[in-house]
Amino acid sequence: MASREKQLSALPQTSDAPRGRLLELVERLIYPFRHGEPPEPRPATGFYTDTTVCIGCKACEVACKQWNQLPSDGFNWSGNSYDNTAELSATTWRHVKFIEQFSQELPSPLVSLDAAVADANPNRWLMMSDHCKHCLAAPCHQACPTGAIIHNEFENVYIQADICNGCSCCVASCPFGVITRSELGGHSHKCTLCYDRQRDGLEPACAKACPTQSIHFGPVEELREQARKRVEELHGRGVPQAYLYGDAPTDTYSEMHSFYLLVDRPSVYGLPDDPFNPWLHMMGDYVRSFTGGLAAIAALLVVVFLLKT
Amino acid sequence: MHGTSTPQQAFAKPAPGVGSESGYANMPVIKVPGWHGIIAWDALLNGMATGLFLAAAVSELAAPVIFAPIAKVAYPVALVLLLFDLGLLVFDLGDPLRFHHMLRIFKPGSPMSVGTWCLTIFSLPLTAAAALSLLAETGLDFEWARILAVVLGLLPGFGAAAYKGVLLSTNAQPGWKDARWMGGYLSNSAILMGCAELHLLAALMGQRPATAILRIAFIVLLVLNVIPLGLLFRNLQPTHAQLYTRQQQWRVGVLIFVAGTLIPLGLTLFSSGPLSAFGSVVFLLLESWVIRFVYVKIPHTSPLGSKAG
Repeated sequence: MASREKQLSALPQTSDAPRGRLLELVERLIYPFRHGEPPEPRPATGFYTDTTVCIGCKACEVACKQWNQLPSDGFNWSGNSYDNTAELSATTWRHVKFIEQFSQELPSPLVSLDAAVADANPNRWLMMSDHCKHCLAAPCHQACPTGAIIHNEFENVYIQADICNGCSCCVASCPFGVITRSELGGHSHKCTLCYDRQRDGLEPACAKACPTQSIHFGPVEELREQARKRVEELHGRGVPQAYLYGDAPTDTYSEMHSFYLLVDRPSVYGLPDDPFNPWLHMMGDYVRSFTGGLAAIAALLVVVFLLKT
Repeated sequence: MHGTSTPQQAFAKPAPGVGSESGYANMPVIKVPGWHGIIAWDALLNGMATGLFLAAAVSELAAPVIFAPIAKVAYPVALVLLLFDLGLLVFDLGDPLRFHHMLRIFKPGSPMSVGTWCLTIFSLPLTAAAALSLLAETGLDFEWARILAVVLGLLPGFGAAAYKGVLLSTNAQPGWKDARWMGGYLSNSAILMGCAELHLLAALMGQRPATAILRIAFIVLLVLNVIPLGLLFRNLQPTHAQLYTRQQQWRVGVLIFVAGTLIPLGLTLFSSGPLSAFGSVVFLLLESWVIRFVYVKIPHTSPLGSKAG
């Protein structure tokens, strides 16, 4: 499939007028420097994922693959519950995670919902559909030297695939391990929050496909309101563990436009407990770098001045 | 981060028997960029090229009579090293034909963008200085233009030396994200390597006054470099503790100190001839490469919990 894709992408597009090699080269050199008019800003949109109602059906994964025409990653048995997706990648922008929390003492994991709620020690499945967090101050966006990664008019973090040159700075900087460089084209890819669908007034494919409304899509402010009410509701229903992850900024990380309702520690879901934006260190690192270099130059100059006579 | 309730509140008293440590808690989150040995070579050549230029330029501007003949040889050598370095930088991209995309914008917040611009701008005066130095050998001496090129190259040259460490520490990678002194070490090491190369050139060219001065400067810089190297090791100590036993850490530390500092120091103190200068450069470059290689490999080492991206 991959080789077929390569062949297809190498074919001239029907809309392209035939050009000579020189013109093609010139076009290739000039093209990235053409900056279009940025679209008018629209209300910020995002995802609110309520993990308590996720049933792990993977409809979101399938819908994402289908809409974005992402190739299959093969069918590999990971040995980790029902998770055979394993990770987010350049070709997998949604990843449904499965966490089995069952006490060894009970013979059967099948307990009624009432019993589970009443029991202080419930045996439970945790499921979560993971994806790009669309961070407000996204480290990948800050790292990108080409300007390929932008915040689009919906304030979603979007990679312009025709600009990315595969330097991997974004891969190195993402504290969630979301962005991945494709081995096929050499460019980075991740969830676009279905930018094309949003522009046409449609909700993202994953949210549309979710049968339990675990994935909510909409204006971020509305989603936050909705999520906070849901947390209060869960607290009232005897689930005090419920909290929101990523809905508000911390000292070390910005708010995320895709946030989650969780009922266990973030690390249990494969999320960093305390995400840290590497850029908080950048100025200090530059100061130390300049200090190290300038100290050496100063030492060299002192020796030269002292000994030149 | 957590809106309505904090995980600290939620998990202050974990329910006994519930596997809150299960799920993805012990699985890698971060993805490692495909930066391997080529980046270690890049970091080495970057330091060798920028360091040689800066050491030659500073020495020549401070004592032109003594250093001009060596500097005229040093600039073409620095240019060759820089071209190799740029070749590696381009080659390491996912899409090397898109290298120029990095020049479509300037992002002060992206160390890679700063570095690319510094290297690109630096290459111009360096090329001019190298060309004019070679022309001077043929009798076409444009001394004022050569000096102007050297002066113009100082700032971007220093920027090109200083950005690399910041690039390798401003990210989310295990080990790298804690290396606050990486930039300080790399920029200091660049000047040290430059001084060592210049010392070797001076010795080979039989420039006695320059050799004598650079010999002392090299000794001073060699001792000075131990400070940022020690600080970097301290930064990386928790990471090294996960990767190596205490004994291994000591062994590697002593080996680096002996091979990279004591032997070059001994050789330089022992003799002022070209052979000892050559030996010093060889040992210093070997140590510098090992440090860069070991550093680049840190996130790729599995116990630190990251996966290839």
